[in-house]
Formats: sequence, C-alpha cells, structure tokens
Amino acid sequence: MSAISVSHFKKHYKVEEKEPGLFGSLKSFVHKKTKIVKAVDDISFEIKEGELVGFIGPNGAGKTTTLKSLSGLLHPTDGKVEVLGYKPYTRDHKFLKQISLVMGQRFQLWWDLPPIETYLLNKEIYGITDATYKKTLDELVELLELKEVLNIQTRKLSLGQRMKCELVAALLHSPKILFLDEPTIGLDVVMQKKIRDFIREYNKRHNATILLTSHYMMDVKELCKRIIIIDHGKLLFDGKLDEIIQKFADHKIFSITFEKQVNIDVLKEFGEVIDSVEQTVRISVEREKSSEVAAQILKKFQVADLSIEEAPIEDIIRSIFNKGKVNV
Amino acid sequence: MSKYIQIGKITLLEYLVYRLNYIFWRVRSVIFFLTLFFFWLAIYKNTTSVFGYSQSQMMAYIIGIAFLRSVVFASRVGDLPGMIRDGTLTKFLIQPVSIFKMMFFRDTADKLLNITFTIVEIVIILAIFKFPFYIPQHTFTYLLFITITFVAVFLGYFLNLFLSLTAFWTEDPWSTRWVFGVIFLEFFGGSYFPIDVLPSWLASIIYLTPFPYLLYFPLKVWTEQLAGFQALQAVGICIIWTVIFYFLSRILWKKGTKNYGAYGG
Repeated sequence: MSAISVSHFKKHYKVEEKEPGLFGSLKSFVHKKTKIVKAVDDISFEIKEGELVGFIGPNGAGKTTTLKSLSGLLHPTDGKVEVLGYKPYTRDHKFLKQISLVMGQRFQLWWDLPPIETYLLNKEIYGITDATYKKTLDELVELLELKEVLNIQTRKLSLGQRMKCELVAALLHSPKILFLDEPTIGLDVVMQKKIRDFIREYNKRHNATILLTSHYMMDVKELCKRIIIIDHGKLLFDGKLDEIIQKFADHKIFSITFEKQVNIDVLKEFGEVIDSVEQTVRISVEREKSSEVAAQILKKFQVADLSIEEAPIEDIIRSIFNKGKVNV
Repeated sequence: MSKYIQIGKITLLEYLVYRLNYIFWRVRSVIFFLTLFFFWLAIYKNTTSVFGYSQSQMMAYIIGIAFLRSVVFASRVGDLPGMIRDGTLTKFLIQPVSIFKMMFFRDTADKLLNITFTIVEIVIILAIFKFPFYIPQHTFTYLLFITITFVAVFLGYFLNLFLSLTAFWTEDPWSTRWVFGVIFLEFFGGSYFPIDVLPSWLASIIYLTPFPYLLYFPLKVWTEQLAGFQALQAVGICIIWTVIFYFLSRILWKKGTKNYGAYGG
C-alpha cells in the first residue's frame, strides 16, 4: 500500500492585486481585483512506505504548498490527496499522531522556554509513555549531540542547534511520515551534512517515509534515490536520480589535459569549450558523439589525461527549469 | 486532558520568564482600580445613595469589577489573530490538539495567575482604606453568583474567540478588536460603571447584547439588586448567549481553517 497517494491534485489561491501608491490602494478599496494563482496544478504521484523522496523545484514551484496539503494544513482545490489512508485536511488526530512537518523557517519550539519544555509538552500531546519518551529522547539527543543545550532558552540557541532541537521535537512521537521543508536552510556545510546523515539514519532505523524539499542539491543528491521535480505547479519529472541524467543530460563533460598548449579554437569543432586552465580544457560534448569525439581527440593531439563525466546534476536541473515544461 | 494541563503549565512558565513585564501589567490594573475607587469615593462624600446604589453596593461593584475582569475576560485568545496572520497557528494545526481547548487552558492558566494577584491587591487596598463592602444576605446569592460567573467565563471566552477568529478574513484584526474590546466589552460590559447608571433607553438596548452578562449581571446578582426571578433569567440568557457564540466560533473555525493559507515558511 502506498503511504502517500496524490492524484490530479490542484491547489489554487485567490489573491488580491493592488496597484502601487495611494491611489492604487483607494482603487482596490472600492473595487477589489483578484486573480487566481495556480500554486499546484494537477499533479499525481505515489510514495511507498519507507521511501525517502526528494522534492525539488525553484521558489514558488509549489513544493511547500504540496507539503502543507499532505500534512493537512491546506484543503486541496481539486483532486485526491491521501496519506496513510486518511484525508489529511480532516486533521483526524489519529492521522496527526503519525506525521510530522518540519519547516526550516518556522519553529515549533517555544521561543522563550528551553527545548525540553517543548518536548515535555509534545510527550503529553502525542500521549507518549514515560519509558518510550525517555528512550526516544536519549537516542535523538545522542545522535544529534544535544545534551548541553536542552535546558537553554530556545531563542539563545544558534540556528544549527535550534534546527537540531526542532528535529527532536518533530520526531519524539516516532512519526511514520516525515515532511521536511528546507531542513538545512541557512546552515553551514558541516551542519548540513550532520542533518543529512541524521535524516538518512532515521529513515533506515525506523523505516519512516520521508518527503524532503531543499534548495541544496547536495541534500537531495546524497539522500534520495527518487526525486520529484515540479515547477509552476506542474510535475516535470518523477523517478530515479540517475534517470534524470540519462533522460535530460544531452551533453557530457570532457576534461582533457594536453601534453602542450593547444589552440582552443581548434577544439571548438568538438563541442562547446567551458573553460581552460593552462593545458587543461573542459568541453561540453553532445552525448551521442562522445565516444567518437574521444577517439578523434586522442588521435589528433598528444593527450596526457582525458576524463569523461556526466554534467553536474545541478546544471541538468537548471536546464530543465530553463526549458520550462518538459514532456516526460 | 494531561496535554492541556501541560499547555497551562507552559503558559505560566512563559510569564515567569518575563516577570518584570507581568509586574507592570499588574501595576496597570491596580491604577485602573484605584482610579475608579477614588472617583466613587469622592461622589459618596456628600450623599449616601447614587443611582440607587448605596456606598457599600457601589464599592462591592467596583471591587467586583477588578475581580471579575480577571476571571471573565479572556486574554490569551487575543493571541490568535497574530498567530493566524504570521502563520504561527500552523504548528498547532499539525498536532493532535484542539485549538479551542488549548486556548481555553492558556486562558485559564493566565486567569489563575491574575486572580491570585487581584485578590492580594484587593485585600491590601481594603486593609489600607477601610470602607463598607456589601456582603450578600442570602446563601442562595452565593450559589447564583458562582453559577452566573461560571457561565460568564465561557461566554467571555467564546465571545473573544469568535472575534479573534475573524482574523482569518480581516487583514487588520487589531482595529476590529480594539473597537470591540474597548467599546463593547468594557463599556457595555459594565467595566467603568454599572449600566443602570445610563439613561434607561440606552440601558435596555445594551441588555439585548451579550456584553452586560460578562460583568454587570454577575455583579448585580452579588449586590442583590435583582429579584430572584430576574437573577435566574439573567443566568438563562447568559447560557443562551454562550451557546450561540460557541456555535458561531465553531462555524468560523471550520470555514477559517479551510481558508487558512499557513503563510510564512
């Protein structure tokens, strides 16, 4: 059975448009102009139990709207959204007990109190027994190295510490489904990696279904086998990460180190020159021609080293967004 | 239930963090009380009865206001518009809690603290300025007073809740709340003076609204100025208003959460 099932899901908002300036304000006071924003427009996907899925798209693509609808905050305008067999927007307490939503820019920790107070409250809210609470808390605190900060007022914690404490709050009740919206936003590289490792570990240990959005490709690349790409509320891609490369990467990157300096213009016939540093040149070559081009280069020039790589995933995805809608 | 008690505890803990802030808030209440107190004391200097109130009844009324305001007026529900606007409500919506109950318990914690302080303050003031204070003659009055106050607590809560929930639609909840808060709750509720001090035509209009059931009628019960039947009638109407505002709040909540955009983040 799918843990999450979404079909033909739409979420449209009505927003007010206001012309600039005082006159504009007066005008919209008399006559309100509204327009419909299609935050999510007809998307469908299924996620199985225990899957860790990356959800990517530029700002305003509809990622957060989707997560909010899956966790029951928003009512879908149309279509079917089902999580663990529940309709999320009914906000059935039995359903809410099994999920958690972590937003990188929004905190559930009580701002003026130490994190431990939030945990004690969550213990009661989710009806966690003393024994389970202690065990889970110890485990999470250990994994995230939080022992020292539990009794410090939340607003005095650093962003990284707060994010980790936030994860503990979200996981105390061992949710079956975890929605993570930009969990690493604003964190330094070391902390990002720590959070990533933790998410991976958590997914393995508890067989939790995790849906993650992030701006950082590293998050998605390292964690998720499967990714879903959306833009302008439409689904652009749903599949394995390496499938994206096969499907969308029409170029390969050649990195060639020549024995001696060569004229770069000569290389232009093989493909687009990306950059050149001393004797090393990088060229983007059409995928189908790559083996042929490699042979030619090795024949024509004195080559010290040649490597052929896939284009970075970031570039591929950027090109997908630039092209707009892609038929999959 | 334990989750709501824990929410109450958290509310108290928050106050402890900002003790000074809270003390200033108490000072404000005491000043409000003293203003009324000296005002009426001055009026009773040359007379024994004003608008049908003896001095002891009037003193009971204004002390009653100080006490009942901390019992009946819901304070934390007023956080809701802000929570709706900036999206803080989100964190509670994805947890298995009832927001109605949660806010009620936050209010209750807040009230317990305020009531404790109010009682201490009143006792001190009474000890310093000795003056006659009306004590009901019949035991039945106490029962009636407790009953109507108990219902008024819920009326105050749902009235405030209803108002706060309009923030799902209004972009500027503060002006609505201010107008409502000051004019209706305080003025029509009888916070500054007993309503029967007003011209009778105005008073009878105010009686048609739910507001006088918050402070005025409970205090009229205490001062035994309502005949037995009138007092029971007041309790009855108070219950009806409470039920009405409970259902209105439910409706607003249902429609509002559907409308809620969970903005910010």
